[in-house]
Amino acid sequence: MIELIEKIEGEAKLDFSFEDGKIDFVDIEFMTARNIENILKGKSPLDALVINPRVCGICGHAHLIATVEALEDCYENIEISKKAKIIRELTLTFELIQNHFKWFYLVMRPLFGEKQEVLKATYPTQLMAKAIAVFGGQYPHTSYAIVGGVVCDVTEMDIIKVKHYIEEAIKFFELNVVQADTKDFLVCDNVDKVLKKSGDLPDILKEIKKKKYLHHGKSYDRFIAFGENSYFSKGKSHKTITTHNISMDHVKEYSNPNSLAKNVLYKDKYYEVGPLARAMINKVPLVKDAHRRYGDNIFSRIIARVCEIPQLLNHSKELLEQLDLSEPSYIEPSIDITKINGSGESAVEAARGSLIHKVDIENGVIKNYEIITPTQWNLGNGTKKKLGVSQKAMIGLEDVQTAELVFKTFDVCSVCTTH
Amino acid sequence: MRVLWLSSIACNGNTHSFLNYPYMEQFLNDFEFIYHPVIDSNYSLKEIVTETIACDILLIEGSISDEFKRADVPVVDIITKYAKIVKKIVTVGTCATFGGIFRESDYKDTTGLHFVKEVKIDKFKDLLNKTISLSGCPVHPEVLVNTLYAIKKSVDLQLDNFLRPKDYFAYTVHNGCTRNEYFEYKVDNHKFGELEGCMFYDHGCQAPFTHGSCNKILWNEVNSKTRAGLPCMGCTEPTFPKSNLFGTKKNMGIPQDLPLGVGKRTYLTLAGITKAFTIDRLEKKLFDD
Repeated sequence: MIELIEKIEGEAKLDFSFEDGKIDFVDIEFMTARNIENILKGKSPLDALVINPRVCGICGHAHLIATVEALEDCYENIEISKKAKIIRELTLTFELIQNHFKWFYLVMRPLFGEKQEVLKATYPTQLMAKAIAVFGGQYPHTSYAIVGGVVCDVTEMDIIKVKHYIEEAIKFFELNVVQADTKDFLVCDNVDKVLKKSGDLPDILKEIKKKKYLHHGKSYDRFIAFGENSYFSKGKSHKTITTHNISMDHVKEYSNPNSLAKNVLYKDKYYEVGPLARAMINKVPLVKDAHRRYGDNIFSRIIARVCEIPQLLNHSKELLEQLDLSEPSYIEPSIDITKINGSGESAVEAARGSLIHKVDIENGVIKNYEIITPTQWNLGNGTKKKLGVSQKAMIGLEDVQTAELVFKTFDVCSVCTTH
Repeated sequence: MRVLWLSSIACNGNTHSFLNYPYMEQFLNDFEFIYHPVIDSNYSLKEIVTETIACDILLIEGSISDEFKRADVPVVDIITKYAKIVKKIVTVGTCATFGGIFRESDYKDTTGLHFVKEVKIDKFKDLLNKTISLSGCPVHPEVLVNTLYAIKKSVDLQLDNFLRPKDYFAYTVHNGCTRNEYFEYKVDNHKFGELEGCMFYDHGCQAPFTHGSCNKILWNEVNSKTRAGLPCMGCTEPTFPKSNLFGTKKNMGIPQDLPLGVGKRTYLTLAGITKAFTIDRLEKKLFDD
């Protein structure tokens, strides 16, 4: 039974097989691919800073940051000021926040029978877009992070402006998403306390319990994150064991006979990436509590993604405090990138999880470019014997509507998955 | 008015740019999407492609190829079907208008609706008088929304040669840039990461010869790429993306692309005059201590 899943930045076809009234396999097909990697071949390395944000309209900024870091990794030595690093982290953080608001209000809440509230998605996301624009000029699709730093300089007045956008977004969260003081919410380590609160998130979580959905969406309980910054640490986690010793060398991509999306595995195993993975690796108390009670199900996945909003808003305030405006925003690299023959790679935490870019530069142009997106990890199309993460999460469900809900808790993005 | 937002070969950047329109409540009261890539609609994509749903404006995002399908139906067939019943067609973004970045995608013969780069194509020539082009990568939300209101009001918009409304595309991106003085007086010592300087001379800024209102209406109501210090990439133009976007192509020290409508002799004469004097204020830091 083939179901077309719509409004996921494109579409996907899910082909469900049932046995005894339960889903026993789902073939996931993404039908379109633009092959950005091919477009990049032969181009000047810096042009990738303009092309790559156009991989995706909702997480293009993560592609920009991944690109600039991969290009800088081609250098043996390159100096980036602390100020530039903080500014890059800030704008990427703002993008994650806007994504989560959109996912929650445009995608998730309607799946629980609520009318889609577009304004609740657009109001806070516009604040985050403005905050990015203060540094980057515009959102979406800026290329303001360049090899050597960032193009902008900012003043105290800009910082004040950005801080107000953050405060306003926090206020929105406290009024709508979870009606509580964010300071208390951030240290909360008990999901029962969240369930007692009012707000759009507790409403959904209560629905999950009421509808007896708590067993839905369980997968391998195996998580990985490669991106590192001042907030996220890299590592992998399986059930209760977490290690931080992982290497991108073990990441392999495989083409897929039934879909234009490539599967990606770490040491030949599928891993889940994204907010739940980050929370498990970084041991976020509230998410750990949800996971301890319910495992890697839709409850944990939803609470993890929404929880990142106040965490990141709060963290971005701290980052703003750390900015030393007297530092340079940009330090011109001693060697022009077109004079470099070499390879570089990067990993950043995008909204949906770890995003990996790899580049080879030869004779001043891009010889090869490889992009591995977070959704490739989560939405891999495995076989019956070896299921991908979201496939496994849908096994055993009784109807396609519930399966669509489970699928969309991974925050599906068609354009990224195939790029 | 009923609007169909149809995505073709795209990144959905225009979709998300549109979501930045500040007066969304007003807009959604005045227009109904029969389909939109992220906003809920009364019809599914399957219904849109298999039936013909009543509709007033067709919006196309993304470049177009005969090979590209949505819900198993070639996107050109969907366009042809709805083009017949709508009052206006709007190409949303540079891909839908000129082919843009995804002109280079793997799909065969990828183009914009009426143009491939500057060249007019015949495929949809019957629709030329119905079409308004809104280029930009992405399109500015105000440009899109106000054009839709103009259609609703039956305003007779003046269009340029690429069918772009002159209200937004008669200007250059240079108009309103906070770095203008450095350009006017040819102070050519821009360095990235600073508030001062003009990116036209060395860093590839295309604003003086790119049509658009970025610095007039600003992005996200707060800033623009050039104000921030990022060169204009010329994303509203048929040539987007050119190559070596962070460098200025020069012949014998003279920028190859000159400000719109300014001849080489005029430019050289002006440049010669400005070289004869130094404006101390523009040589120094803006915040001089």
